[in-house]
Amino acid sequence: MSARIAPTTKPPTPSTSAEAGDGQQGFGSRLVQTLLTNRVALLVILLVVVVALLMGLDQAGYLSAAYSPDYMSAALINLVPLAMLALAEMVVIISGGGGIDLSLGSIVSLVGMGFGFMYGIWGWPLALSIVLAVVAGALLGAVNGVLIARFGFPPLIATLATYYGYWSLALVSNNQKPISSPPIQDLYGLSKAVEIPLIGQQLPLLPKGIVIFLLPTVVIVGLLLAKMTYGRRLYAIGTNDVAGAWSGVDVVRTRAMSYVISGAIAGLVAVVNVSQFASARPDAGTSGNGMALPAITIAVLGGVAVTGGAGRTSGVVLATLLVVWLNAGILLAFSGNTGSQVELLALGLILVGSALLNTFTARKYSGAR
Amino acid sequence: MSAPATTQAPKSGRVLPPPVMGQEVVLIAVIAALWILLTIFTPAFLSAGSIQQLLWRLAPIGIMAVGMTMIIVTAGIDISVAAILMVCSVVMAKLIAEGGWGFWTAVPVAILIGGLLGSFNGVLIAYGRVPAMIITFGTANIFQYIGLKVFNSQTVNGLPASRDVLGPGAGGRTFGVSHAFMIMLVLVVLAGFYLRHFPGGRHFYAIGGNSGAAALAGVNVRRRIFITYVITGLLVGLAASVTIAGGTSTLDQNVGKGQELATIAAVVIGGTSVLGGRGSVLGAVLGALLVQTVSTGVTQLGWPSQLSNLFVGIFIIIAVGADLIREHRRRSHA
Repeated sequence: MSARIAPTTKPPTPSTSAEAGDGQQGFGSRLVQTLLTNRVALLVILLVVVVALLMGLDQAGYLSAAYSPDYMSAALINLVPLAMLALAEMVVIISGGGGIDLSLGSIVSLVGMGFGFMYGIWGWPLALSIVLAVVAGALLGAVNGVLIARFGFPPLIATLATYYGYWSLALVSNNQKPISSPPIQDLYGLSKAVEIPLIGQQLPLLPKGIVIFLLPTVVIVGLLLAKMTYGRRLYAIGTNDVAGAWSGVDVVRTRAMSYVISGAIAGLVAVVNVSQFASARPDAGTSGNGMALPAITIAVLGGVAVTGGAGRTSGVVLATLLVVWLNAGILLAFSGNTGSQVELLALGLILVGSALLNTFTARKYSGAR
Repeated sequence: MSAPATTQAPKSGRVLPPPVMGQEVVLIAVIAALWILLTIFTPAFLSAGSIQQLLWRLAPIGIMAVGMTMIIVTAGIDISVAAILMVCSVVMAKLIAEGGWGFWTAVPVAILIGGLLGSFNGVLIAYGRVPAMIITFGTANIFQYIGLKVFNSQTVNGLPASRDVLGPGAGGRTFGVSHAFMIMLVLVVLAGFYLRHFPGGRHFYAIGGNSGAAALAGVNVRRRIFITYVITGLLVGLAASVTIAGGTSTLDQNVGKGQELATIAAVVIGGTSVLGGRGSVLGAVLGALLVQTVSTGVTQLGWPSQLSNLFVGIFIIIAVGADLIREHRRRSHA
C-alpha cells in the first residue's frame, strides 16, 4: 500500500525522524536507533558488557574460580548444541505461519538412541551412522513439515504431537535405559578440547565440536538463508505467504523443507549430545526444560521475529554466545544449586526483555534488521 | 452456517452454535469406544476404584484446561502454567508442613499466588503487547526460579494427612464421586455457560476471531485478554491444591513438570483452535478425559507407561485433523 502512495524512486529512509534532517538528530538518539534496529550491534555490545562485568567481578574476587579465556573457551562446549538448535528454530520461525518446532528436543532424544544402536550396538561405521542420524532427523522433521505445510496443522499443535510421540518412542526404544557401550564411550574424543593447530600455543584449547559440527552448520545455514534462492523464498513466504504464492513460490514445499532442515540439524545435535556425554540417553533432549525451549528463547533473543520473515544467522550465534558465557559466569558467581537456578532467572528475564524490546522496536522504528 | 435449520429459526438474529458441536461428538464417540474396548480387554478398567482414580486425576488438568481454553480462544497461549503450578504447590506445602497451617487456609493463598503470577503474564501480554508464547516461555523460567528458591534445594517433607477432602482416597468422595472432580464439573458448567451466554464470554471469541474488529465493536480488548491470564492463574492455584491433596507426604521439585503441554494438548484435542475464535470448555475436558483414559488404559494393559505419550501425540493429530477437515468442508460449502 505504501508503494502506491509513495512513487519516489529513492531508497526508503530508515525512519521518519531521519527525514527531519540529520543535523537536528543528536548522536545519542541515532545511537539508540542503531542499537535497537540492528540486533547484531546490540548483541555485540551486550556481549562485551557481560564479559567485562564478569572479568571485573573475577578481579574483585567475587567468583569461585577464574573467569579466564581458558574457562570461557571450555564453556564453548555448551555452545555447540545450543547454537545449532537455535539455528534450527530460526529456520522454522522465519518460515512464518506461526512457525515453531517444539519437537526438536524429542528428535534429539530419539535420533540419539538410534545413533546409539547403529554405532554403539550394531557396530556400523561412524561416518555412515552420522549420515543416517542426520537423515533420520530430516525424516522426523519431514513429518512435521508435511503436517504443517501440506495439511495445514498449526505448527504449535503438529510439533506438540510429535514432541509427545518421539519422546515416547525414545523412552520405549531401549526400555528407558541409556546406551553407553565402549564405542559410544570412546566418542568423547569428538567433543574434547584440543589445541588449535599452527597458532594454538598461545590460545586456549578449543572444543573440537565447534569445528566439526557447529561451524559447518553455521556456514551452511548462513549461506542458505542469505545467498541462495531457497533462503529468499523462505523469507518471502515468512513475510507474506499469499504474496509469495502469487510470485511463484511453492509455499507448501518451501515451508515443509524448513522443518526438514530443522529436523536434520537436530539429528546432528543428537550425535553431538551422544559424544559429549559419552552416552545415548533416551531423555537427552527432553529432561528438565528440554532443549527446544532454550533454543526458541535464544532465537528470539537473536532478533528472529516470531511473526516470521525476519532473522539472521549472525544474530542467533551471537545470542547463543551471550547466553553461554553469561551462564558460565553465573555458575562461578553462585555456588551449588543457586547457580543453575539463577541461570533460569537470567534466561527468563532476557527473554521477556528481548520480547519487549522487539515490540518496542517494531512500533518505533518498524522492525529490527 | 453449519447449524442445521432447526424447527424454529431464532427471530432475534442471534445464532449460537449448538451446545455440543462436531468435535465434542467425535470425542464422546472415541472415548466411549475406548472405554468399551478397555472393559473387554482389561477386567480392572471398569471397576469403581479405577474409574474413581481416573476422574480424580482428570480434575487438575481439567481445572487448568478451563482457563487455558479461554486464553487460546482469544488466540493466546500460556506455557507457564506448569511453573505457576509448581510455585503454588511448594508455597502451599511449606505453609502446611512447616508453618502449621491447615489445608483449607492454605488453599486461598495458593489461588491468590496463582492469580498474582497470572496477572504478571497478563500485564506483559495485554499491555506490553508482546507475543504470548514468547512471554510465557520467559515467565515460566522466572516462576521456576521462584519455585526452586522456595524449595531451597530440598523436598518438602511431612505433609500431614489432613488434606483428604480433595484427595483421591475415600475421604475425598461423597456418594462415590471425587470432590475434586465435582469442583471441576461446577467450573466447567459455569465457564461454559459464561462463554456461551454472557457478553463478556462472547467477547473472548470476538477477540480471537479478529481483535481489531472486536476493538472497533467496543470490546476492551486489552482488559479482556488480561483477565484470561488472571483467571488461568487462579485456576492453576486451585489445581495445585488438588495436586497437594493427592500427593504423598513429600513434595519434590518435579511437581508440575510437563503439565503445561498436557493442558494445551487437552484443549486442542477438544477442538479449540490455536488460531483463536473457536473452542469450548466441554471439549477441553473431554480432551483431558481422553488423555487420562489413554494413560490409564496403557498402564492397565501392561504396556510400558511411556507408550501413552505416543498415543497422546497420535490423538492430537487425529483430533485436530478431524477439525481441519470439518473446517475445510464448512468453508467449501459456504
